[in-house]
Amino acid sequence: MSIDNPPTIEVDQPEEPTNRPAADHRLKEWLSRGYVRRIIALSIVIGLLIIPLAWVVIHFMNLSGAPASAIMVEIERTMFVFTVVSAPLMAITLAILFYSLTGWGRVTGEDPPMQESPAIRTNGTAVVLWIAATSILAGFLVIWGLVELATITSYANGSTPANQQPNGQKAIDINVTGQQWVWTFQYPDQGAVTSDTLIVPINVPLYFNVTSKDVVHDFWVVELGIKIDANPGAITNTGVTPDKLGTFNIRCAELCGLHHAYMQTKIQVVTQAEFDAWVREMGGKRTV
Amino acid sequence: MTDTAVVHQTHDVPQPKQHGKPGGILRHTSIVTGTALGLVAAIVTYAIGSHFFVPWGTTNADASQVGLNALVAATYFAWVIFFMIGIGAFAGPIRWALGHDLTHDDAEYMAGKDQGKWRYWKYTTDHKVVGTQYLIMAMFLLGLGGLLAMLIRTELGITWAEVFDPNFYNSLIGTHGIVMIIALIIVVTGPFGNFILPIMIGARDMAFPRLNALSFWLLFAAIPPLASNLFLGGIRDGWTVYQPLASQAPIGMIGYQVTIIVFAFSTGVASVNLITTSVTMRARGMTWNRVPIFVIGVIASSVMGLVWFPMFQYSQMLALSDKVIATSFYNPIMGGSVWLYENLFWLLGHPEVYVVVIPGTAALMELMVVFLRKPLFSYKVAIAGFAGVVGISSIVWVHHMYMTGWAPSAGYPFMLSTELISIPFGFLVLVMLGTLWRGKPWTRLPMMCVYAVIWDKVVGGITGVYLSDVPVDQYMHGSMFVVAHFHYMLMGAGLFAAIGATAYWFPKMTGRMLDERLGSIGFWVAFFGFQLTFGSMFVAGLQGMPRRVLQFDNAFNISNWLSTVGAYTIGIGMLIFLYAVITSWRSGKPSGSNPWGGKTLEWQTETPVPLENFPVLPVVTSDPYGYGVPDPYDAVLEADKQPAGVA
Amino acid sequence: MSAPVTEPLYPTTGEPVSINARRNRMGIWLCIVSDITGTVALLVAYSYLWSLNVNNAWAPPNDAWAPPTTFWLIVLGTAVATALMWWGLRQIDQGNRRGLMLAASLSMLIILVTFIGQIVQLSTFPFGPSDGAYASATFWLCIGSAIHLSLLLFLTQAIMGRTRAGRITQGNSSHVRLVAMYMTWATIAILLGAIFATVMTTSPNTNSPTFGTFQE
Repeated sequence: MSIDNPPTIEVDQPEEPTNRPAADHRLKEWLSRGYVRRIIALSIVIGLLIIPLAWVVIHFMNLSGAPASAIMVEIERTMFVFTVVSAPLMAITLAILFYSLTGWGRVTGEDPPMQESPAIRTNGTAVVLWIAATSILAGFLVIWGLVELATITSYANGSTPANQQPNGQKAIDINVTGQQWVWTFQYPDQGAVTSDTLIVPINVPLYFNVTSKDVVHDFWVVELGIKIDANPGAITNTGVTPDKLGTFNIRCAELCGLHHAYMQTKIQVVTQAEFDAWVREMGGKRTV
Repeated sequence: MTDTAVVHQTHDVPQPKQHGKPGGILRHTSIVTGTALGLVAAIVTYAIGSHFFVPWGTTNADASQVGLNALVAATYFAWVIFFMIGIGAFAGPIRWALGHDLTHDDAEYMAGKDQGKWRYWKYTTDHKVVGTQYLIMAMFLLGLGGLLAMLIRTELGITWAEVFDPNFYNSLIGTHGIVMIIALIIVVTGPFGNFILPIMIGARDMAFPRLNALSFWLLFAAIPPLASNLFLGGIRDGWTVYQPLASQAPIGMIGYQVTIIVFAFSTGVASVNLITTSVTMRARGMTWNRVPIFVIGVIASSVMGLVWFPMFQYSQMLALSDKVIATSFYNPIMGGSVWLYENLFWLLGHPEVYVVVIPGTAALMELMVVFLRKPLFSYKVAIAGFAGVVGISSIVWVHHMYMTGWAPSAGYPFMLSTELISIPFGFLVLVMLGTLWRGKPWTRLPMMCVYAVIWDKVVGGITGVYLSDVPVDQYMHGSMFVVAHFHYMLMGAGLFAAIGATAYWFPKMTGRMLDERLGSIGFWVAFFGFQLTFGSMFVAGLQGMPRRVLQFDNAFNISNWLSTVGAYTIGIGMLIFLYAVITSWRSGKPSGSNPWGGKTLEWQTETPVPLENFPVLPVVTSDPYGYGVPDPYDAVLEADKQPAGVA
Repeated sequence: MSAPVTEPLYPTTGEPVSINARRNRMGIWLCIVSDITGTVALLVAYSYLWSLNVNNAWAPPNDAWAPPTTFWLIVLGTAVATALMWWGLRQIDQGNRRGLMLAASLSMLIILVTFIGQIVQLSTFPFGPSDGAYASATFWLCIGSAIHLSLLLFLTQAIMGRTRAGRITQGNSSHVRLVAMYMTWATIAILLGAIFATVMTTSPNTNSPTFGTFQE
C-alpha cells in the first residue's frame, strides 16, 4: 500500500466579519453569553477559595513561633501579598480549565469526533488583555520584591560591619563557623566567648560573619527568617534583630554530608540582663 | 507527481565504489560486540592501571585516593570509548577520512533495512528505530528513578527510625535526582523528537542519521557508570553535587562525572541534529508559519541544551580533574572557589528546567487541537512564548544562588529577570487556555493530560513566583518547599506531558492503541497521588523542613506521612500505566494510520511507517490546524440580534 | 542556489551536493556555538579564580608563572595551518587539486608539530597541576587547546585523505570549507587562552580571607 498523491492539507479559514458592530455593543453581547457569565461566576468562587490560602500559608509558617524578627514579618507579608495578587489570574485560569471539561459540551467514544469546535484562530483583545494583565502582575511583583529586598537588607545591615552602625546602636558581632556537622558561634567583642548554641539578647542588632571549615553549609535561622551559605574560603555576612523572646531553630539548609540532617542547633533570644549573665558565666567580658 | 520536492532518484546518482557487502564492518557489530569490547577494555585498563598506578598496600592516603580515582575514571572512559568502537560508531568517520564514502546501499543497511527486530540492537541510523530506543531507555530510567524515589519516601515516612544508613540515603537522593533529570531531558525530545519530528516535517530521515545513532548509544554507554555508583560508595551529594563536598565523595562520584560528560556529548549531537533537521529538511511548502508547534518546541529546547549544556559538562570535567589529577578548581585551600562551581552548574541548571518543560508543553499544544477540533489559539503568541523563555532562561541562573553570599546585590537584577520570565511563560498558558476556550473536548487520555498539566503548571508557576522573590527565598531556599515546587514543574508539567505525548503518538510508533481504560486509571491514580505527595510537601517546607534530610523534627511528621502515602500511590499508578503500555504494545487493538483524525503529516503516512517515511515526499499548502467551523456568534453579531443562549 | 547545472549528487540521498553542504554548514555552526560555551567555561574558570585569589593560593609556588612565548607559538602554528586550509579551498575552487593536496598536507604537518608542542608545554610547566589555582586553570587552558588540536589533526588528515581519494573536486569542495571554518574557531579559542594566560597572572585581590578563619 502506498500513497499515490502527496498528502496535502486543505485551507479551511473562516472569513472575518467585515462590518463589525460597535465595541460596547459587542462587549454587552459577549457578557450576556451564558458561558461567559458562568465562567465569571466560577472565577469569583475559585478566587474566594484561593485568597484564604494566604492565611493558611502564614499559619503554617508561624507554627514554630515565627515571626521573631522584622525580617520574618516582611517575608510573611510578601507571601501574603503575592498570594492575594496572584489569586485573580489563578482563578480565571482554573475557571476556564474546569469549565472547559464539560461546559461547552464534550465528546466521548472511540472514533474521532465529527462535530467541530469554532475555528478561533486568535483574538487580539484576549491576547492584549492577557499580556497586559500578566505584565502588570509581574511588574508589581518585581517592584514589590525590589523594595522588600532593600528593606530586609537594611534590616540585616548586611553591608555594614559592627563598628559602623548608623543609628549608634552597636551590633553584636558573631562569627559563625560551620563544619561537618556542628555550628560554632564566637563572640569576638565579648572576649571571644565560644558556644555551640546561639544565645543573643532581644532587640539588639546581630551581625554574622559566616564561614566554613570544610564544605558548603547553610546557616538558616528559621523563625528569624535569615539564611546565608557558609562557604569554605570566603566570609559571608548577614544580620538580624530578634524581637521575640524564646528558643528557635537553626538548621543547615545545604547538604553537607553524612550527618547533614543532624546539623541543627538552637538560638535562644534572652533579655539583655540574662545575656550579660551568660557572658560572665562563660568567662567573657561584659558587652560595652 | 511532478511538483514533489525531491524525488528519490537513487538509480541516477553515481555511487562511490562499494567496498564489500553493503554496511561493511557494521554487518558484524552490534550491542553484543560493543558490550564485549567495552567490558574487555575496562577490565584490561583496570588490571594494567592497578598494577602500575596504584601499588597495593600504599600507605599515603592522598596519593592512593588520587590514583584510585584516576584508575576508575580511566576504566569508565575505556568502557565508553571501546563500547562505541565495538558497536561501530567510528566506522563512519574513519570511512569519511579515508574517502570511502557511504553508498546508498550502505546507508540503507545502516538504516536497518531487512534486519527485523535485530536492528534495535545495532548502530541503526533510522530515526524511527532511534526514537523507539529512546522511549524504552526513558521508561527504564524513569522506572529506576521512581524506585529510588519510593525508597526515599519510605525513609521519610518511617519517622521513628533510620531505615537506611545516612550515606546510603544520601546516595539515594543524589542518584534519584540525576537519573530523573536525564530521563526527563530525553523523555520527549528523545522518542518523539526523533521518531515523530522528521515525519511531521515531511523528511525521509534526520539531517545527520549517524549522529542520531551516536546520540542514543552515547547515552546508553553513559548509563552503566551512573548505575554502578551505588556499589562504589554512591553519589552522596544530591544531584547538584556541590563542591567541595563532592571531592570528599567516594569513587562512586566518578561515575556521575563520567556520565555527565558523556551525556553532554549525547545531548549536544542530538540538539545539532534536531535543529538542523527542523531548519533544513522541511517539506516543500512548509514555511515557518506552517510548522507544527511541536517542532518549534523541540527547536527551542534543543537550542537551550546546545548552548548551555557545555557549561555543565565543563563543570564536571573540572571536578573530575580535581579528583584525578588533583587540580584545585573547587578546593578553597588551594585557591579554588565553590562559587565557580555553582555558577557553571546553574548556567545549565536553570535552562535545563525549560529543556524539560518546553517540549512537553509543545507536544500537548500539538495534540490538544486534535482532541478539541479547533485551531491552535494564537500560533504566533506561542512562538513568542517559546522564544521569550529561551532568551530569558539564560539570564536567570543566579536565582538558585540568592543565598550563597555570592554578590548579594546580584539579587536585584536576577529577581527582575526571573519575574520577567513569567510573562513569556504566561503566553504559553494563554495559548492553551485560548485553545480550550469554547472547544468540545474529546476526553481521551492524551486530552486529559492537558488538563492535568495546566493544573500542575498553575500550582508550580505560582509557587515559583514566591521562590523568585529574594526575601521569600531567604526563608524557602533549601527547604522542602523548593522540592515540591520543582516536582510540580518537572514531574507535574514535564512527565505528565510526556505521558500525554506517549498516549497520543503510541499508535503511530507501535501500530496499536494504548489501552484507554487501564492507561487512564494508572494516570489518574498517579495524578492524585502526586497532588497528595507534593501538596503536603509544600506544608513541610512552609514549616521550615530542610531538604535532603533523613531525620527531622516531629512537627513535620504528619505532612511526611501524607507525602509517603501519596508517593506509594504514584508508584501504583505508574505501574498500572506501565502495564498498560506493555500489554498494549504486545497485543493492543490495531490502530490504523490515523486513529485521532490528526492533520499533521505523521498521521498521513501509513502505519507502520515505511523505511523512508513517505513513498513520495509531501507538499504542504497550509498549516496543520485547519480544524473547526465558523464561529456561530459572528453570524449572530452580524445580524445584530440578541443571542438566545449558549450555542 | 547558484550551483552549476552539472552539479554532482550526494550518493546516499540523491540530493544535489549544495543542499547537503548547506545542511552540514549549519551543523558545524551549531557545533561551534556549543564549543564556544565550553571554551567560555574554561576562560570563566581562569579569570574568576584569578580575580578571587581564594586563600591567597592563586599564584604558583615561587611565582613561577608559565612562560607566555609557548602559548603564542601554539597560536601561531594553528593560525598558519588555518590560513593554509583557506588557501587550499581557493585552489580547489579554481580546479587546482594539487594545490589543495599541498595545503592540506602542510596544514596537517603544522598541526601535528603544534600538537606535539602543546604536549611538550603541558609536561614542562614549572609547576604541577596541584600547585594552586593558577596551575589548575593554566593546565586546563592547555588541555582545552590540546583537545582542539587533536580534533584539527583528525580533520586536516581527513581532508588529505579525501583529496587523495578524489572525493573532493571543484564542484564538491564543501568539506574543505567546513574544516576551515572549524579551524578558524579553534584558532580563536586558542588565541583567547593565550591572551588570558599572558595578561592575567598576578591576582588583583590581595586581601582574601585565610581559609577557615575570620582574618583577612
